[in-house]
Amino acid sequence: MRRRPAETARHLVALSRRSTLAIFRQPALVGPSLIFPLFFAALGSSAFSRAISLPGFPQVDSYLQFTLAGTVTQGVLFGSVTGAAALATDIQDGFFDRLLAAPASRTAILFGRLAGSSLFGAMQALVFLLVLLPFGVVVQAGLLGYVSIVVAGFLTAFAVGALMSVVALKTGSAEAVQGTFPVLFILLFLSSAFFPRETMSGVYRRIADANPISYMVEGQRWLTIDGVSLTAMLQTLAIPAGIAVLTTALALRQLSARLRAR
Amino acid sequence: MRCIGKTERVNNAPIVAEQLVRHFGEVKAVDGINLTVNQGEIFGFLGPNGAGKSTAVRMLTTLLRPTSGTARVAGFDVVKQADDVRRNIGVALQDAAIDPLMTGFELLELQAVLYGIPANKMKQRADDLLERVGLTAAADRRVGTYSGGMRRRLDLALSLIHQPVVLFLDEPTTGLDPMSRLTLWEEVRRLNREGTTVMLTTQYLEEADQLADRIAIIDHGRIVREGKPADLKRTVGDPTLLINVSRAQTDSAKTVLARFGELRPTAEGTLGVGLKGGAERVAEVVRALDEAKIVVEHLELSQPSLDDVFAEATGHRLEGAENAPQAG
Repeated sequence: MRRRPAETARHLVALSRRSTLAIFRQPALVGPSLIFPLFFAALGSSAFSRAISLPGFPQVDSYLQFTLAGTVTQGVLFGSVTGAAALATDIQDGFFDRLLAAPASRTAILFGRLAGSSLFGAMQALVFLLVLLPFGVVVQAGLLGYVSIVVAGFLTAFAVGALMSVVALKTGSAEAVQGTFPVLFILLFLSSAFFPRETMSGVYRRIADANPISYMVEGQRWLTIDGVSLTAMLQTLAIPAGIAVLTTALALRQLSARLRAR
Repeated sequence: MRCIGKTERVNNAPIVAEQLVRHFGEVKAVDGINLTVNQGEIFGFLGPNGAGKSTAVRMLTTLLRPTSGTARVAGFDVVKQADDVRRNIGVALQDAAIDPLMTGFELLELQAVLYGIPANKMKQRADDLLERVGLTAAADRRVGTYSGGMRRRLDLALSLIHQPVVLFLDEPTTGLDPMSRLTLWEEVRRLNREGTTVMLTTQYLEEADQLADRIAIIDHGRIVREGKPADLKRTVGDPTLLINVSRAQTDSAKTVLARFGELRPTAEGTLGVGLKGGAERVAEVVRALDEAKIVVEHLELSQPSLDDVFAEATGHRLEGAENAPQAG
């Protein structure tokens, strides 16, 4: 039996509200996701202040301006696992069954869980921008640039959350989801998040060239340093959106497999 | 509002299962269950942990697909019309946690949206249910601060938000203190008086005896007895004489007891015999034991109970029955 779109939308809104409330009611979860990336930005700004004069670095006033995009991406990656981990917890403790026993839209159960961490991703991007503004960081692309970076925070959190949901739905274990986090962390450091690809060489450069995180970060970086351009906008928004489409398809497939296996 | 389905109903009995089977690999968790629960009944599913009660309920509530067999709940097929089944049943599962970060009211609100209750009726419905289960004062507190009894009562309220035709309660009082059990029993009776058909699983004999109009005893995935508690107890017949003797005299005591009736399974360390002729023959048994120089440490005549029915049907006592908290 097909469900009416309006009914699915109502379920999605109600379940999104639940996941959003859940995130903001856990200060121990929100705090580190905001503080650690800013701490790393401060540390990098101090340690690498002279690195910006190296060949291959773009023309920037400070390392902080260069690393803004990396800080935003790092923070969002930190926070994006929470939605999938919460989904796994729902499966573990039986709340997932409670929802399945109700006539709830199955896709709304999945996306409602991801909504909270995606909104949190957008909020993280906004907070990082607002905190770093007084330290001389300016997004040259203006309002469009600021909005794009915040939207990119949402899309990145959604894309990564959907990918992690595949693990959550496959294993039903919050520990397994948390266990995949180091992979994201390694991928971040094997990208151009903290140094331009032009300064890299060998295997490290080749991995960074193939790493989609490099292109997402560089899109935001160009908006920050150079201003609006079509390429910068596409890399900032289209890459996370594209990844989100792909990971969403994978998550839906895994949801289907989980429901079929019951 | 009584829910109705979007596809055709085919049977009037709220729950009908035919040859319902569920295997998990080599394990036959439910092995060919047939049952019919009639309109307005409280039906008890009694059995020890691992007997197949919860698996059967999970199939009837659409959470598990049967390996084979069919079941209809509220007139709808649990596989082919699963969404219609869900719209018409209330489910309170023993192992389904309630989100500790939400308040009681917020959870009722969420449940109301999932069951399609209009926003203008939602608040009144939630308030009524909170009052009914005695949680009005705690409505705006996060569930994480609730006691076990309060969570079970909220769980019951959540399962009633859409006024279901059939209510499934999976071990509703496991782990509750005696007072909370009595409160929940009273609420179940009240719901039943109002017309809700209730199916409950329990491992507590007293709970099945007190609440259920009819029970099915399930063991190793099969229903081994089914009927009204009083009728089932009558089928056991003679009362059970229970005695405790020293370990060294166990075998000779068994020989003596066997002269007075059929030996019955009992808890470890106790011997039991279905005493033909009832209480009048107790003195005769005592004399026979005395003549055999057997020292009786404890003697008790027990009228047939559901545990006797269970023991007679399965060859063993209901696991953990002795440890169940006594209500009242």
